[in-house]
Amino acid sequence: MQELLARLTALDTSASMSLRVIACFDELVRGGVNVHALLSAGASMAGSVAGFHDERSGRSMRVGPDGVALPDDADASSIERVAHTDDGLTVWIEKSPPLGMNDAMVVERLALGIGLRLGRNPPDGRRGLSSALDPDVPPHVRQQLLVALGLRPNERHRIVCLPLFATWHRHGHMVEDVVNTPFGPIHVAVVPESVIAIEASPCGIGVPMSLDDLDRSFRTAMVCLRLSAPPDVPTVVADDYGGLVELLAASHTAGPLLDVDPLDAIMAHSWGAETLDALVKAGSVRQAARLADVHHSTMQTRIDEIQRTLPFDPMDGIGRTRIGIAYLVWRLQHSTVLVAPPTAEQR
Amino acid sequence: MWNPGGMDAATHEPNPTADSAVAVRPEFDPELRGGLALVGGMFPPTITPDLVDFMRTSYAGPPVAELLDGRRITVRDETFAGHRGDEVVGSIFTADGAVGARPTVLFLHSGGLMFGDRFSGLDRVIDWVERWAVTLVTVEYRLAPEHPDPYAREDCYAALEWLASDADRLGVARDRIMVAGASAGGGLAAGLSLATRDRGGPPLCAQLLDYPMLDDRGRTVSTTQFDGIGVWDRISNETAWRASLGDRYRTDNVSIYAAPGRATDLSGLPPAFIDVGSAEIFRDEAIEYATALWRAGGSAELHVWPGGFHAFDIFAPHATLSRGMIATRDAWVARVLID
Repeated sequence: MQELLARLTALDTSASMSLRVIACFDELVRGGVNVHALLSAGASMAGSVAGFHDERSGRSMRVGPDGVALPDDADASSIERVAHTDDGLTVWIEKSPPLGMNDAMVVERLALGIGLRLGRNPPDGRRGLSSALDPDVPPHVRQQLLVALGLRPNERHRIVCLPLFATWHRHGHMVEDVVNTPFGPIHVAVVPESVIAIEASPCGIGVPMSLDDLDRSFRTAMVCLRLSAPPDVPTVVADDYGGLVELLAASHTAGPLLDVDPLDAIMAHSWGAETLDALVKAGSVRQAARLADVHHSTMQTRIDEIQRTLPFDPMDGIGRTRIGIAYLVWRLQHSTVLVAPPTAEQR
Repeated sequence: MWNPGGMDAATHEPNPTADSAVAVRPEFDPELRGGLALVGGMFPPTITPDLVDFMRTSYAGPPVAELLDGRRITVRDETFAGHRGDEVVGSIFTADGAVGARPTVLFLHSGGLMFGDRFSGLDRVIDWVERWAVTLVTVEYRLAPEHPDPYAREDCYAALEWLASDADRLGVARDRIMVAGASAGGGLAAGLSLATRDRGGPPLCAQLLDYPMLDDRGRTVSTTQFDGIGVWDRISNETAWRASLGDRYRTDNVSIYAAPGRATDLSGLPPAFIDVGSAEIFRDEAIEYATALWRAGGSAELHVWPGGFHAFDIFAPHATLSRGMIATRDAWVARVLID
């Protein structure tokens, strides 16, 4: 059996494989799976036998890459091992060189997972960034965690959110990790306030905040990520929408909503998305026509259709605000950025 | 994030928006969730027509040498006359040293009728060649949308006729041919069982339907429960059926051999094995098909694996649930097919 990680890397060289390893073990630990299941996953990723020995209990186990438990072979000591030992717990994979790029990472995460399963790790074994973005953790604790990660306490920072499968054109050094969210595991990075572009797609960049408020930046970055739509809109920065993004981050936008649901009929037109986009950005019909690159009369015909469809006038007074917000919420509801990988042309 | 002591993880989860992304549906098995975190992007949950090219690369079968590495198996390719008499390739896998007519598996691959090839998802099936010296034949049936229905199913029917007519030379026991298929291949396998019954074609001794794609109408609850998550959601399914059926999609003009879930008479069919995950869109179609087989007096063994996403045994074969699925399936194959 060829190792899973090598197969995946061959398919997508731009993927952040180490992050996938982290995300996988996060899911396993979160799901409370047993030691056998943890070893199976590690063995499958590495394409080799994975094993552990616990000095305290005297317990050992070896599992093959197909998930089948193997005899606790005394000769196993003669096999080259990549091992991680901590607190009487040894975890290893049995492999002859050359080792895979991510083997050390697999062993480290496997050891952490087994340690947690056997009750070895501290009560809150969550990694720093995940806790530092949790509003239920006291602000001063969050700040300490972020300082421990190397961030300067007196400077403002932004959270950047990406799918695990984002395409990176350049991946500089930054504080980053996988954080679990209701939308699944998300690649989260912290950047200085001045950074408003990342060479990766798709990507959402949150509002700048002080360290003890970085959870707000995280929430806005998630909204921005979900507003992105490569290849046309690879990155969305919170600053583009200001307070609106914070409003959206604090709102329940998943269910049916007044103003939003009627947009389905408009977005079903081939011209729907570009017209609404132009409309909410423009100050006049003429400017909207320019933005959408259509003739003034064409734009007017479309607006007439929109006015007939909506229960309010999107060109007038509070109606302009209503259409702007409804359009953003519609995009959030229909975001596919977290479920689809970039297509060939977007790579 | 870490969940010490198995406490309710939800209370620790940073909430990046106030949105609830939670729908009413069975949760994925935790080990399988780990598997999805690794492979999710290689097989996106939602496949639209523009992703078909990506999937053809991503879901291509491994090189055959890799499949056979370390196994005592020989493979050879032959061609036979497929739909409209066009040449279609079949690969014949035999165990080294096997002689005479052997129990035979006609395997139809997965890939939503639009991608995959005769070597896709073959790891578990190829085990049978080594273990029981079955003759395994896999078919390069033609793919949609370039080759819409009935190309795929008629290529598969032609393969069955080829096996039966040239059985002695191919090492095929005529009275012991099982059709097996996964996902789209499972739908083709069910359709082939119906077609050979109705046309008086070569008999099948068994039909193995792994999480089969049976019905273009998408009428079940499970069809709508998994939008945007796991492997193969409602949109992917619509993409596939549209590619295969074109204008006939969801009309009265769809053959039961293309969409066996539409068949009203399931009598006189070979014993069936149906397995499916509880957390996939095909769950209800699979259960209904098994039920319909029983109502028609047939034999069916049905397994619904809790928290399983579509084709989880292919994507995470090491997981406990996958090993259970594979062992259960193998036990049935041994019972109905092997000497």
